[in-house]
Amino acid sequence: MYHLLYSFCEWLQNTGWALNISGSTWSYPYVQAIHFTGLSLWVGTNIAVDLHLLGIGPKRLTSAELNNALFAWNWTGLAIAVTGGFMLFSTAATSFIVNPAFQMKLGLLVPLGIILHIVVQQKTKTWGQAKDTPGVAKFMGGLELLWWFAVATAAASIPYFEHG
Amino acid sequence: MHFSMWLAHTTLIRWLNDSVVISTFVEVLHYFSMFLLVGSIVLVDLRLIGVAAKRRNATELANDLFPIMWVGLALNFLSGFILYAGGAPDYYGNHWFYLKLAVILAAVIFGIMVQANVKNWDRPAGIPVGAKLLAFVSLALWIVSIWAAVEVPALTGVG
Repeated sequence: MYHLLYSFCEWLQNTGWALNISGSTWSYPYVQAIHFTGLSLWVGTNIAVDLHLLGIGPKRLTSAELNNALFAWNWTGLAIAVTGGFMLFSTAATSFIVNPAFQMKLGLLVPLGIILHIVVQQKTKTWGQAKDTPGVAKFMGGLELLWWFAVATAAASIPYFEHG
Repeated sequence: MHFSMWLAHTTLIRWLNDSVVISTFVEVLHYFSMFLLVGSIVLVDLRLIGVAAKRRNATELANDLFPIMWVGLALNFLSGFILYAGGAPDYYGNHWFYLKLAVILAAVIFGIMVQANVKNWDRPAGIPVGAKLLAFVSLALWIVSIWAAVEVPALTGVG
């Protein structure tokens, strides 16, 4: 299984378009900018609802209304972030796949974070009907906020685990 | 140059930058607050352009998102200043870094213009075309800010 994954990574980073990104001083930052723009939409809208559930900040809308208003661009943001992320991954796939911080980020924190997000997003429809949210909503909002901070920490730690 | 040398050697700045744990925390804070800042203002821009949250009142949506934008900007500026100060002499005369700051300044000015005017634009007849244009420029400036920011280490090796 691991061997298969490694072979896939080797093939991926030698495809023409991956070599194009990694080989150019100019195109790599463009791809990074795609990843960060997507993350701004995804994380920004996630945290806006989490803070709302926590009861921090003004509430002209209920949390359910805000959640609903941000829904489409929330998932569009994830799609953009994943596209940019996959392109970044493809430039050095074999070294990413053995990097412990990357494994932690993509193998554990991101999948669980997305599941946590779906639960919070669905539950907010009921939790967020009144302006005052229940205790469980505050807890889950706080948890999701900390969770994505942990994801960003794992991502920022990737360079410290690079070798070879 | 003299100032940047002094700044990079102050005790507080060295303490914040020399430990891997603290400097990584500051770096993560910089990314995270950027997501809050850009995510919140861009959603307001998209609402004004007419492609997001159409069923919601633009003023109400904007009023709930603007505080997140300001908190994001404050944390982004603070963490960004610490990161800059840690290597201040390297940024001296770095044109890509100056470009990044200039684009961000323009984006913040457009953000303030949007915030100040949402109330007036939010009319039953619809959002005026000029407002949509302004919102589009605001959105574009943030994307250019992100791009300019990642060009700094890519082209100058600093950061």
